[in-house]
Amino acid sequence: MLSRVSLWGARPELLLLVVLMWSVVRGADAGMVWAFLGGLMMDLFSGGPLGAIALASVVASFLSGRMLRVDLGAPTVGIVLSTLLAVFGYHMVLLLTLAWTGYPVDWLDALFRVTLPSALLNAILAPFVHRPMRWLERRTRRERFTL
Amino acid sequence: MRESPTRSWLPLALSVFSLLLIVFSEAGFLSPFESVFHYLFDPLQRFLSTFVVSLGDLSSTVRDVRELQARVEELQRQVDALEAENIQLREIKAEVETLRAQLNFVDEFPILAYFGADVVDRGACTTYPCGEVVGGEPNPYLRYVTINVGARHGVKVGMPVVSGGPRLVGRIAEVSPRTAKVQLITDHASSVAAFLQNARVTGLVVGQPDGSLLMQYIPQDQQIDVGDVVLTSGLGGTLPRGLIIGQVAEVVQMDYASSQAALLRPALDFSRLEQVLVITAYAQAAPESEGQGLSLP
Repeated sequence: MLSRVSLWGARPELLLLVVLMWSVVRGADAGMVWAFLGGLMMDLFSGGPLGAIALASVVASFLSGRMLRVDLGAPTVGIVLSTLLAVFGYHMVLLLTLAWTGYPVDWLDALFRVTLPSALLNAILAPFVHRPMRWLERRTRRERFTL
Repeated sequence: MRESPTRSWLPLALSVFSLLLIVFSEAGFLSPFESVFHYLFDPLQRFLSTFVVSLGDLSSTVRDVRELQARVEELQRQVDALEAENIQLREIKAEVETLRAQLNFVDEFPILAYFGADVVDRGACTTYPCGEVVGGEPNPYLRYVTINVGARHGVKVGMPVVSGGPRLVGRIAEVSPRTAKVQLITDHASSVAAFLQNARVTGLVVGQPDGSLLMQYIPQDQQIDVGDVVLTSGLGGTLPRGLIIGQVAEVVQMDYASSQAALLRPALDFSRLEQVLVITAYAQAAPESEGQGLSLP
């Protein structure tokens, strides 16, 4: 349903936001695995090359995980900035993959009409996805007891 | 935020695996795997699509009632105007028939040379496979939709897809047993040979990254009017002649270019596509020296 929603060229990427926030709450490794699996599922429903969204999602999750190691001040600021960078990376990988597979890519147009608006919109939405993901992480965390 | 120890090989491994998938997919080695996936998951996708559409319908009913009232009034005005225009056209038709007879025109050179494309209601499903849009495109740089008819219904790659009357939606790009992916005309890689109905000049309609349409390669010396209707020309034989693409919204002229372009207002709202019609056979546009024949894309 969200794939039909567009706000000045920006699209809310719900699945991407979920895996990015999962990377934030559960760690980059878990996030990357889910990013790959989720991306692969979306690839199968896409008209583009199989693996493109999976690759872009893994890169985004990796970038998001990397940003956690940088001190960005308040947690919400960190989440917004890491999502901004991760979604930008996601779109760049998608565009590079499309260009590599022979699809005509208008870089400037794509950058200003889709990539940047999408990165901004999803960065703003990220804190709203972070909260339920944090709740889910707490509910599914395995407690480890040591003697 | 939690930081867990990361496995340094994991991002590299997943990236390499994804790249291999892209390479194998482009080489066509993964088509059987994709077909099996679609065969298994298409019913689930269809169910989810129906569920989401039902939810959307519920929330938009109140708004739709108001919109519909306004729309009914507007359409009534259009019907009145069209009825008047229809009477005029009948007069013109009678006049043309008389003139044609005088000039010894024969039936094998018809002015209108497309069939099938104007049949788009549900009743037409007995003749043409009618599809419902069951999925959008997750890649923000591509414009595809999935419809719930596929190879089992006789759908093949390249077949034209229309909706809301003879309005061109796009072409079948990929077919699985029960579904097909349609490349919309707004996709950046889509190009359609077209002509302007009033100006009678041809050009090429290409999709733009933002989902709009641009008609290119219109000769510089031709007069283009805003509002002129753009139709498929049928050149190249991949589409029937006369399908509606859109209307000229803005003329783009560059003094240094050998041709001019026109920004088009699409004839369809592609974000609200629900019912489409796949044209499996159509009469090809008849060049001046040839008769018309049935064409299978």
